Amino acid sequence: MLAFIARRLLIALPTLVLVSIFVFTLQKLLPGDPALVLAGEERDPETLAFIREKYHLNEPILYQYFYWVGGLLQGDLGVSLRTNQPVLSLIADKLPVTIQLAVMAMIIAMAIGIPTGILSAVKKGGPVDYIANFLALSGLSIPNFWLGIMLILLVSVNLGWLPASGYESIFVDPVRSLETMIMPAFVLGTALAATLMRHTRSAMLGVLKADYVRTARAKGLSERVVVIKHAFRNALLPVVTLGALLFGELLAGAVLTEQIFTIPGFGKLIVDAVFTRDYAVVQGVVLCTAAGFILMNLIADVLYVLLNPRMRNAQ
Amino acid sequence: MPSDETGRAGSPGEPLLTLDGLSIRFKGAQANVVDGVSLSVNPGETLCIVGESGCGKSVTALSLMGLLPVPPAEILSGRAMFEGRDLLGLTRRELGEIRGDRVSMIFQEPMTSLNPVYTVGDQIAEIVLRHRRIGKREARARALEMLRRVKVPAPEKRLDDYPHQLSGGMRQRVMIAMALANDPQLLIADEPTTALDVTIQAQILDLIRTLQDESGTALILITHDLGVVAEIADTVAVMYAGRVVEQGSVTSVFDDPQHPYTIGLMSSVPSLGKRTGSLATVPGMVPTVDTMPDGCRFAPRCPFASEACRREAPPLRRVDASQAPGHRVACVHAPLETTFGGVAA
Repeated sequence: MLAFIARRLLIALPTLVLVSIFVFTLQKLLPGDPALVLAGEERDPETLAFIREKYHLNEPILYQYFYWVGGLLQGDLGVSLRTNQPVLSLIADKLPVTIQLAVMAMIIAMAIGIPTGILSAVKKGGPVDYIANFLALSGLSIPNFWLGIMLILLVSVNLGWLPASGYESIFVDPVRSLETMIMPAFVLGTALAATLMRHTRSAMLGVLKADYVRTARAKGLSERVVVIKHAFRNALLPVVTLGALLFGELLAGAVLTEQIFTIPGFGKLIVDAVFTRDYAVVQGVVLCTAAGFILMNLIADVLYVLLNPRMRNAQ
Repeated sequence: MPSDETGRAGSPGEPLLTLDGLSIRFKGAQANVVDGVSLSVNPGETLCIVGESGCGKSVTALSLMGLLPVPPAEILSGRAMFEGRDLLGLTRRELGEIRGDRVSMIFQEPMTSLNPVYTVGDQIAEIVLRHRRIGKREARARALEMLRRVKVPAPEKRLDDYPHQLSGGMRQRVMIAMALANDPQLLIADEPTTALDVTIQAQILDLIRTLQDESGTALILITHDLGVVAEIADTVAVMYAGRVVEQGSVTSVFDDPQHPYTIGLMSSVPSLGKRTGSLATVPGMVPTVDTMPDGCRFAPRCPFASEACRREAPPLRRVDASQAPGHRVACVHAPLETTFGGVAA
C-alpha cells in the first residue's frame, strides 16, 4: 500500500510542474501591468522602474518562472503585491475557513445525496424516485447565488434565526462558527447532493441487477441487508471516487457563495487577487488548489483500493 | 451411506415439493412464458428439468425461490406446496426464513454470483448466521467445514480469499458450500455447470451427487444437457416453450420417449463410437413469446402435426397402462408407434 501511495505521489509531481507552468504563463498572458496597479495614482517612471526592479518584472520570462519556482521549493510563495504580506501566510489564514466550509458542505451533500440515491434506485419508477429526481434536477439547476440570497432573506432577514454573514473560527467560538457556516454549507452541499444522488442512483441500479445480489436474496437475507451490505457496498466504489473529486473542487473555494455570505475563504481571496492583479497571490492560490485537488485524487485512489479487494492484489 | 432414512431409496409417501399449474407472464408479452407447469419432487430425489434456452425452466426455478423480478414478471396462477406451505403465496419475510435454509439455490454463473467485496468465508458464514442461532466463530467453523466438504483444496487459506482469487470451478464449489451450509431439504441448481470447462463440469456434478447422497437433499437440476440427465436424474421433465411436454422416471422417458420433441432432443445427442453422417437436429426454431402458436406449441416444428394439434393444447396424460405410472406426455399422437406404425422408432 505504501509503495502504491509513493508511486502515485511520484506521478503527481509532473502534474504539479505542468500546473505551475500553466499558472505562470496564463498570468503573464493576462492584460494589465501589475506595476501600474502597485504604483497607484502617481505613475511616475521612477516608481514604476523601482517596482519592476523589485519584483523582477524586467527579467526574461523564463528567469521569472525559475525565480518563482525556486521560491516555491523553499516554501516561499512570494509576497502579495497589494498588501505586502507573504502569500503563504495569506493562504494559511484562509485555508482553515475553506476546509471547514468544504467539510460541512460535503457532510450535508453525503447525508442528503447518498440515501436519496439508494432509495430512488430501489424504488425505481415509483413516486419516491420521481420526487428524488425532481429534487436533484432542482439542486443542479438552481444557481448557488440565488439559493444563497433566498436563504438569507428567509432565514436571516425574516425569521432572524441565523446570521446573514460573517465568519468566526471554529476554534474560538464553535457554536457561532457553525451558525455562520451552516447556510453557505447548505447552499454548496445541496448542489453537490444532487450530483452525488444521481451517481449513487445509477451505480445502485447497475449493482442491483448483479448476480451476487440475487445470491444474497437467495440466502434469505432481508431486503435491507441485501441493499446496504451487498449492493451499496459495491456501488460505493464509483461514488467514493466522485465524492473525493467533489471535495477537491470544494477546496478550490466557492467564489460566489463566499462572496454572498462574506466568508473570508479561498474563493474571496482569489477574486480579490484577480481584481487587483495581485498575481503572486493568484499563482499561490491556484497552485495550492491544484495541489489540494491532486491530493484528493490520491485519496480517492487509495480509498478505491482499500474498498475494492480486486484492486488490492492488482496494484 | 449416512442418513439413509431420507436417502433416495426411502420415503415414497408425500412429495417434498408439488408445483401445480404454474403460469407466468412477462408484462406486455402475448403469451405465458411458463404455461400451466406441474411438477413434483420426492424427498432425496433428483428431478431434472430439460429444455432449450428460453423454454421457461429457469423462470420456473426462480419463481420457486421468489427471485423473479415482479414486475415485469407476473405469476398468474399456480401453487408450490413445500412442507405444507405455498411458496408462491408467502410474504417476503416468510420467504426469507425458508430461502437459504430449507430451500437453496445455485446459479449458472459462478464468476458473478459471489459478492466481490467479501471473502468466501464471510459469505458462507453469513448464510449460517442468518438462519442459525450461533456465534461468528461457530459460523466460521461451519464455513470451513463446508469448504472441506466441497473439496476446496487448502480450505483454511481459501476462507479468507476473495472470489476473484478463485477459479470458476472453485467459485461454484463455494456456491455449493453456501447453498448446503444449512442442510436444506431442497437444492435448486440452475445449469450449475454450463459456464464451466467440460472436465470441471463432471467434477461439479459428481460433487453435487455425492453431497446429495450424504445429506439426503432433494435436487431440482435444470439443464439442457441430456447426458447430465441420464447420469443424475431420478425423474425428468422435458419443457418446450413454457410447457412440460413429457415427464416421468428417467429410465422410462429415456427408454421409451413419447413426445416428438423428446425424441428429437435424444436423437440430436452425439454418441461416442458410431458416426452416422450428420447430427440430427430438430428443424425450425423455438417460437418467441410473441409468436406462440395456439394449440400444441411444438406443432410448427413437428413432423407429425395435424389439424387437431393446432386447435388445442394437448394435456399431459398417461399413454397406456403398460408404461411406468409416472410417465406422461402432452401429445395427441402418442404413442407414435401405434399412430404412425413405427415411424418414430
